[in-house]
Amino acid sequence: MADATVSVEPARKRRKSPVADQVRWAFWRPMNLEKLALFVQRISGLALLVYLFFHVIVTGFVASGRGAWQGIMAALTNPLAHLGEFLVFVGVIFHGVNGVRILLLELSPLVGTPSRPDYPYKAQSLGRGQRSILYLSAVMTALAAISAFFLLLG
Amino acid sequence: MRESTLQLVNYVMIAVLLLTVLLHLGTHGFFGFVDYEASLVYGDVVGRYRQAISSVLLASLLISAAFHGLYGLRNILLEFRSGPVWDRAVSYGVLVAGFALVGWGMRTILLTAMGG
Repeated sequence: MADATVSVEPARKRRKSPVADQVRWAFWRPMNLEKLALFVQRISGLALLVYLFFHVIVTGFVASGRGAWQGIMAALTNPLAHLGEFLVFVGVIFHGVNGVRILLLELSPLVGTPSRPDYPYKAQSLGRGQRSILYLSAVMTALAAISAFFLLLG
Repeated sequence: MRESTLQLVNYVMIAVLLLTVLLHLGTHGFFGFVDYEASLVYGDVVGRYRQAISSVLLASLLISAAFHGLYGLRNILLEFRSGPVWDRAVSYGVLVAGFALVGWGMRTILLTAMGG
């Protein structure tokens, strides 16, 4: 009798790209709003960090005198820069409100009391309390987008 | 520093950041209290740097945003790969970036506050 052959997968698969893994994870089933919110939280956080470096460099011109400041402000008074500021404002509001939700989840007030795990095994941490803050962050982001649109692009 | 201590500092920085970023956006007209264009006029900007409370607010915002942002970046990068060399490279990398960011920002605050 021939030995049964089984396909042996390598113990350690080479990951193609960690960024692609993150994107795949966010949109992989089972999909839920919380996964998407965490993904957007990370993207907005990284974008805001890049903006922070840019913002600190730009505001540094104020120390070089009126001419330098007016020069950089003139260079940044254009629709593209205003669109960037619009995205920053919207990103800050979403990142802030959703961040408070994550903070409350981490510090446990929104996790809820433990219960017996019965089918269909709904995660205790994905309850209504935190979901309402997620909706609030979406509403506040929309309001911020409307407000910033009229302020910067209107 | 222990990871739990870093996370604790991060929570404090988040609290400071929430307050200071709202005040910062407020002073630039994002909530409708002041005019956006007027808040960027040179005289107004320098005036804010020369007010003690405003300077402290800007310095707090700078430090808390730099810490929270770079700590978040470090966490994301440490999830991508593991190993002592990678850990050390990421940790020292964000530390250097943090010192550069806070250093340049504090230079702006101090030079402007003291008269450029």
